[in-house]
Amino acid sequence: MIQFTNVDKRYEDGYEALSNVSLNMNRGEMAFLTGHSGAGKSTLLKLIMLMERVSKGRLVVGGQDLNTIRKRQIPYFRRHIGVVFQNHRLLFDRTVFDNVALPLEVAGSNPRETGKRVRAALDKVGLLSKEKLNPFQLSGGEQQRIGIARAVVNKPPVLLADEPTGNLDPALSEEIMKLFAAFNQVGVTVLIASHDLELISQMDHRVIEINKGRILHSSGKH
Amino acid sequence: MADKKKKQKDLKKPKSSSGAAKVSGKNSSLQSYINNHLKVSKLSFKEQTDRPFSTLLTCSVIGIALVLPTLLLILLTNVSAANIDWEGSAKITLFLDQNTTALEAGTLSQSIAKHNSVANTAFIDKDRALEEFRSQFELGDVVQFLDRNPLPHAIIVTPADTLEEVRQIELLMEELETLELVESGLLDALWVQRLQSITSFLEKAVLLIALMLAIAVLLILGNTIRLAIENRKEEIAVLKLVGGTTPFVCRPFLYMGVLYGLGGSVIATVLTAIIIAILNTPIEELARSYQSTFELSGLDFESTLLLILFGTGLGWLGAWLAVRRHLDEIEPT
Repeated sequence: MIQFTNVDKRYEDGYEALSNVSLNMNRGEMAFLTGHSGAGKSTLLKLIMLMERVSKGRLVVGGQDLNTIRKRQIPYFRRHIGVVFQNHRLLFDRTVFDNVALPLEVAGSNPRETGKRVRAALDKVGLLSKEKLNPFQLSGGEQQRIGIARAVVNKPPVLLADEPTGNLDPALSEEIMKLFAAFNQVGVTVLIASHDLELISQMDHRVIEINKGRILHSSGKH
Repeated sequence: MADKKKKQKDLKKPKSSSGAAKVSGKNSSLQSYINNHLKVSKLSFKEQTDRPFSTLLTCSVIGIALVLPTLLLILLTNVSAANIDWEGSAKITLFLDQNTTALEAGTLSQSIAKHNSVANTAFIDKDRALEEFRSQFELGDVVQFLDRNPLPHAIIVTPADTLEEVRQIELLMEELETLELVESGLLDALWVQRLQSITSFLEKAVLLIALMLAIAVLLILGNTIRLAIENRKEEIAVLKLVGGTTPFVCRPFLYMGVLYGLGGSVIATVLTAIIIAILNTPIEELARSYQSTFELSGLDFESTLLLILFGTGLGWLGAWLAVRRHLDEIEPT
């Protein structure tokens, strides 16, 4: 599903964020990406999201060669990838419902279908009762779950998360991780960048360790 | 190749229940496109009415910028319209050879009257002309010291209405001057010519002023939209992240520009009507002193529509330029 082949990412100022990264994730697989901050975890996720472009090597996601994808095709590609951010990036000028509905709205889903899917997604993260609230009325953990609901609302085959538990206490973090595992259970390919090693070790999934832009090792369940 | 295709299919529709959102069928995609337009236009409208003061301010600036060229254009149209009436009074005076007899002159006058480009002619006998000269001017008495009448017979030619331009009347005069008995012709149209030069100068001036003010409107709008884009940076980034296409992300800002332009041109229409009403009182008084019933005619329905369309179009263009310039800079990070 996600295939890096000898990928380099060099920024304009010469900083090499990733060097010679090769990695293969199968469909329906779940993996953790670990490493110190600045090791290149976020960069790797950004390449998959096309927020950054590969400098050298080849990156194929879902059969789509990201080296050759045109700028105007990027939005359509992104609709197949759900992303969860550490700071969740919710919009505070609208309700929880409208936040979760965004990916459907940009894809032109009709209002009835949107309502159905948004409520299903909110139900999955256990926040169906909060749909009319503004995100700032919610706790940090709840906000992150709204972020997850938004990432999965259009049922993307790939789900990425960048430090999704970075701001949460251990109990909430575990809850969030279990949520990701549940999506993986129904076939979604999940890749989570996290440095919460303790939590990761409990999860029994593949762990990819990255340091100074290189993959150190890739272990665990395949 | 086949493998790649299969994978692509995988990305779009995995087998499991977590299949990618079946976005919508062809029929409903048009429906949802229209829905989105409706929703965005309503939202933009609401957003602007939520901040009535700043919206009114922006619309007023645009309105005032549109009023000036509109008023100048109205003045110009009125003057041009009056111009055509006045041209009817541009007459050609043909002075005949001194040796021409009154009988010959009368016959010539009648034959010229039959010319296609001539409305009518009047023959002025030189003796009668002298008499008139004597009675009308105080210096008339000097005439008696002349040993003979210095005035020639004259024919006054009124050109047909079909000749609208001074140039055409000049051509007619040149043609009549070639007639055997005609010594010379005089076209009393210098003032019409001057008026026409002034009008064409004003036309160009109005166009230039309108052009500059249109650019000013574009700049004002561009800046307003740029600020709006700046304010909604995070929203734009998130929309791009969840797969919003450029037209989708642009749409609210384009509607914003259209609404500003619409509001501005409506204000311009109202202001123009008020100004014309205020100006018409002194103008009518002035016209009355010239025994004229001239008054400024304001914007008719067609011009009003044109003004509003123009203003709205300008709003769209200003927003489009701003969006094109600034939206690409915002990439999710």
